[in-house]
Amino acid sequence: MSNPIITRECVGQLRKPAALWMQILWMLALAAMVILRWPHSNRVDLSGDQAREVLAIFGWTLLAGFMVIVPAFPAASVVTEKRSGTLALLLNSPLSPWQIFIGKFVGSIGFPLLLLAISLPEAVACYVMGGVSIIHQIIPVYLLLLVVAIEATAVGLYISTRCQSVDAALRLTYAIIFAIFVVTLIPAKFVPQSAPPAVGHILRIIASISPIPVLQGLIATGRVSGKAADIQHFLVTAALVIVICSGLTMRRLGQRIFDRPRDSGKITDERSSQVRAYRRFMYLWFFDPQRREKLTGRFANPVMVKEFRASRFGRSSWMARLVGICLVLSMGLMLATAYGSMQASGHLMGGLMVVLQIAIIVLITPSLAAGLISSEIQNGSWRLLQMTPLSAVSIVTGKLLAVIRTLLLLLLATMPGYLVQLLISPQQSHRIFQVLITLLLTTMLCVVGTTAISSMCRKTASATAIAYALILALFGGTLLVWLGRGSLFSPGAVSMALRLNPLAAALGVMHMPGFAHLNVIQWNWGFMVALIILSLIVLTARTSQLTKAR
Amino acid sequence: MAEEPVIKTVNLTKRYGDFTALDHLNIHLERGQILGFIGPNGAGKTTTIKILVGLSRPTEGSASITGIDCTTHTRKIKRLVGYMPDVFGAYDNMRVREYLDFFGAAFGIDRKSRLQRINECLEIAGASHMADLYVESLSHGMKQRVAIARILLHDPPVLILDEPANGLDPTARVEMRELLLKLAAQGKTLIVTSHILPELSRICNVVAMMTHGKLRAFGPLDEIMKEIQTRRIIEMQLLSEDDVTATQELLKEQGDWIDGVTPSPTEGTLRFTTTANDAKLSVLLAKLTAAQIRVAQFRELQQDLEDAFMTVTRQTAESAKP
Repeated sequence: MSNPIITRECVGQLRKPAALWMQILWMLALAAMVILRWPHSNRVDLSGDQAREVLAIFGWTLLAGFMVIVPAFPAASVVTEKRSGTLALLLNSPLSPWQIFIGKFVGSIGFPLLLLAISLPEAVACYVMGGVSIIHQIIPVYLLLLVVAIEATAVGLYISTRCQSVDAALRLTYAIIFAIFVVTLIPAKFVPQSAPPAVGHILRIIASISPIPVLQGLIATGRVSGKAADIQHFLVTAALVIVICSGLTMRRLGQRIFDRPRDSGKITDERSSQVRAYRRFMYLWFFDPQRREKLTGRFANPVMVKEFRASRFGRSSWMARLVGICLVLSMGLMLATAYGSMQASGHLMGGLMVVLQIAIIVLITPSLAAGLISSEIQNGSWRLLQMTPLSAVSIVTGKLLAVIRTLLLLLLATMPGYLVQLLISPQQSHRIFQVLITLLLTTMLCVVGTTAISSMCRKTASATAIAYALILALFGGTLLVWLGRGSLFSPGAVSMALRLNPLAAALGVMHMPGFAHLNVIQWNWGFMVALIILSLIVLTARTSQLTKAR
Repeated sequence: MAEEPVIKTVNLTKRYGDFTALDHLNIHLERGQILGFIGPNGAGKTTTIKILVGLSRPTEGSASITGIDCTTHTRKIKRLVGYMPDVFGAYDNMRVREYLDFFGAAFGIDRKSRLQRINECLEIAGASHMADLYVESLSHGMKQRVAIARILLHDPPVLILDEPANGLDPTARVEMRELLLKLAAQGKTLIVTSHILPELSRICNVVAMMTHGKLRAFGPLDEIMKEIQTRRIIEMQLLSEDDVTATQELLKEQGDWIDGVTPSPTEGTLRFTTTANDAKLSVLLAKLTAAQIRVAQFRELQQDLEDAFMTVTRQTAESAKP
């Protein structure tokens, strides 16, 4: 039976010029990896090492690419229709919730699967190079990616039915996917040797929620049986996530999605004295989400204040929660730092601090900054901004300050770890100072770069996906080059790639194992400053163009 | 000395490549007047408004508000105009008071007087009870009221409203009408576009009709109606179907001063359009009576703005035919 939603979604996506460019770029990136390692001389690599190295880079690229690309489609899918009013038309049609769900699901996963199909010639090239098993490695890697895509789509669609804006849906979906794929791995890495076996077992099960250990196993050993437990755990948890999210989505696609009472506009100031006293005490007054906000101050940039208020994380109640999470993480690492120093692994802990902080910047910035301008264009409020006497510079400054302040607050919450490190070894002050400058520049680069991308896009979903793709290419892509060091890429190429990566530069400063001999910090600062200036020029020019009469 | 018009356009033209969106528009409005801007979609209304509010540059001609050029002094113009576009432009997660506070601060309204001004504007727009509600949770009608409050914040002398009555229920529409009349009475000059012409005819005292980027009619509403009403619509109530048929036959014999004959035998009515004056019509009535046709009523139908607009549109379409 044909489903009109599938046709509409697939045709709609493939009709966009961006879809064609994405396919071309994807194909070129994957082809470049194989070409780089294709044997040029008449010698034959009988061991198959070259092919396995290419497969490793290829597999990680596919997984990283899927993590970035797949969630964007389902996360925007339902909420966009809801906001534009077309979801009500769909629900009012004879299509059942099941058909709507299937239509949306296939429509969302269609394009990522097309990208997967495009990558097949590169996989065949790996096989032709010899040393790679098609049954034990290539097919399982593709099946794994298929499960990952289905899981991310199921999560994204459910979140899309819950959220009221595209930005919120994208932010939450990326956060959950990141938590499932990456955060689940962290606890198992810090199991003390003295911990009871049951704890270690539970943490290993939690780690197997992520597809990363499975991919690692498939690429490294090439034996499915060797990692049978991991694969089994992964498949069971992925199936659970898919079934639960799909069920909840179908439930929401009934009448529930519009079954939402209108906000009653409750304000603490106007409630009974007992309720007022209770809320002021419980929320420490400042963090009460129902308190009446003060008017914008005389010297405050109104756009900055507006951005705080319009963004959920700009509100003190949510900001306090985020800062709290960062503080807990930082304190956890602080403890680990103290523990690690006794076991002579201080460098590792310092490096993990840097990874945590850069992860916060890289993961949160696009979700905060990608909608700064594109969402205003998308919902028509840009015309209202144009009608105010605010200049382009004032608008840009307000928007940038709003995100930078949020990020700096979060980063400050992670700083206590460095204080402990300084107490343990005061001679590290110079290194920590260099890392702090790197963090500051990284924040500036991500914020200004993402906002510049936002100014070039008409839709927040596109801006978010492009920003994530570019930032992850800079931070993760260059690390893939590092992964292929010695075999796939020459030391010169690796050094050049790592110069571009602020994370690698900071890890070099902290003498993190694997980066201990890397001294590229000043080159990296210069690179970041150049990119920031370039992004600022693009952003100012574009904002100026958008605010002027045409 | 005559007072300078608040809004004035002289040969205002906007071209996009070969396409002329606006062709030598000349209009002027005095203080306290309400201009009803009428035209089919793509007539050039929004283009004119965009130029007036400083969002677009004309290819030729000029536009000014209180003597200030809309092209060269866009910043000053923003303070002189309150523009309510057809899209509300809500910010998520913001309460109405915060939403208005942002625009108040953006227009540089002093913090001390801002709260008072917000409350005043909410009061004028009948939206005081919405102050603590989240903007995205408001209904369409409520959003229209908040939008009115927003454009009043900086107390501009000119208000431009794009489809303010669109999507409002009958009660809200009446309230909106009263609100706009009240603002005009306060000395504000208004430009209102709407496709609900009967609604518009009840508030505006000046009308501008546009089609294909050209101004087809401009002036006080009653003058426009007189100018356009070159053809009269006559309706007759007859006693039987036979009378309707006989009248139709008789009208055919009268010549080309009668056309558009529309009989409705089941209702016993017949309509026609004519350029004839009262004397000629009285002769026609005598002929009908002499032919023993039983005429119960013979009356001229009053035309409204919608008829006038349709006449203008039809004339334009006919003149465009090769």
